[in-house]
Amino acid sequence: MEAYHYPQFNTVVYTAKFKDIKNAEALRSRIVKAASLDGADGEAERDAVNFAFIEAKLITSSLHLETAIYQALLSESQGSLRTKTIHSEIIWALNPTNNISEAIKLFGVSGRTTDLILVHAATSDTCDVQQKMHNIVDGRLVPMSTIPDSTNWANVKKHYKLNGELALMEIASDSDRERTVIDNIVISTVAMKSVMT
Amino acid sequence: MPSSSLSSPSPTQRLLGSAQLIYQGAEAKVYKVYLRDPELQQIAKHADHDTCSMAEDAAPVLLKYRFNKRYRHPSLDASLTRQRVAGEARALMRCLRSGVNVPGIRMVDAAGGVLGLEWVDGKSVRVLLPGGSEVMVAQDSDATDDVGPDRCEDAALAEFGVERDDLLSMIGVEIAKMHIADIIHGDLTTSNMMLRRGGKDLVLIDFGLAYHSSLVEDKAVDLYVLERAFASTHPDAEPLFNSVLASYAKRLGKHWSAIKKRLDDVRLRGRKRSMVG
Ligand SMILES: Nc1ncnc2c1ncn2[C@@H]1O[C@H](COP(=O)(O)OP(=O)(O)OP(=O)(O)O)[C@@H](O)[C@H]1O
Ligand SMILES: [Mg+2]
Repeated sequence: MEAYHYPQFNTVVYTAKFKDIKNAEALRSRIVKAASLDGADGEAERDAVNFAFIEAKLITSSLHLETAIYQALLSESQGSLRTKTIHSEIIWALNPTNNISEAIKLFGVSGRTTDLILVHAATSDTCDVQQKMHNIVDGRLVPMSTIPDSTNWANVKKHYKLNGELALMEIASDSDRERTVIDNIVISTVAMKSVMT
Repeated sequence: MPSSSLSSPSPTQRLLGSAQLIYQGAEAKVYKVYLRDPELQQIAKHADHDTCSMAEDAAPVLLKYRFNKRYRHPSLDASLTRQRVAGEARALMRCLRSGVNVPGIRMVDAAGGVLGLEWVDGKSVRVLLPGGSEVMVAQDSDATDDVGPDRCEDAALAEFGVERDDLLSMIGVEIAKMHIADIIHGDLTTSNMMLRRGGKDLVLIDFGLAYHSSLVEDKAVDLYVLERAFASTHPDAEPLFNSVLASYAKRLGKHWSAIKKRLDDVRLRGRKRSMVG
């Protein structure tokens, strides 16, 4: 697990990547149920799943994720969240269109998820975040720097509408170069979403 | 909304407070900063990576802050600033998707007037060509003793492992790629280009005046603006600019002749205008 400190927002953001996820479908339905549970049980469940759960295969680098985190923190500080929470806002920020349910379908956890990133934003250092992650995820913790190893580049190209772009046609034969270019374009797309149109 | 001095500073203002000012323009202040604490805290040990943590520290970002203009009405100023930030980001996005070398976008706070860009580690092309580094030579008295003024930029170029002629042709190629994508820069000067350390990339910067156009006239004027900038910044600029044009022409192929004709027209108009005074 890694911690990013943002003094300008008085916020610490914890992130961790898990691979070989074994309880994806159970986790997905648990998140959905937690939203509608009443009473103290509901509170406890919502606290247990108080993360952004992100499909790691559509993330190209930790900077890609960090850029979505930053823009979401910025929206929150300006009182202009488009979704209910900072965590859903991060998922919204990752998706190139404005459709929130599409964003969750693509960039959230699904039954097919094998590689998952968890994000938790807090206003102070919290020491039990990692334990809370392990409590709900059945998978193997790996460093964030392994993100590009599980990226599904073809799907990234599809969802960010990169097929046919001149930038990629010129370098199609050099796959390292292509990945660097894709990463830079998707990071930039996330960063400028608020002024896209 | 005019910001009240009573409310606490916005996160973007706090970020600017921690940033290093590197350039003060008429429209914008430019800073180098980290969007988060540059040192990453790695908290967990990973099952199969416990020996090396491979923590990715933050990369610096360039912030371009379009500050308030006191002479403009606050709400008009805010909306113009928003539009300038949005316009620059969109032009950069078009360039990125078209394969033009420009800095990636890293943060946008349009309401706060701030655009965050990938930090380009390199040097302005202005100081890599003759005459452009005069300020630098004047400031460095040691350098003037044994190295002549026109050696300075060659030494800088050598440090990048690039010949002057290669640099000039890289400039032509990048502008050609941009024009083929129908993007007009609007302020082409040798200050608005950088050579990345390593010497492989020429990066076009400062898209504050850029716009979308397929008109031959707009492309010709873009080139003319650069020609004038060369003439006023670099002595004996003609052969330098001609090298730029030659590689531009080659990249443009069959579209070059129409632009060349129009460039000649634009030059003629420019000359007539300066004769009339
Ligand atoms: N991405 C970058 N990485 C590193 N340095 C940069 C970058 N962008 C700009 N710079 C440096 O900052 C200087 C000013 O940037 P820029 O030209 O974008 O601003 P400006 O001239 O004030 O803009 P405008 O003309 O719209 O007022 C550049 O000349 C360059 O030296
Ligand atoms: Mg400039």
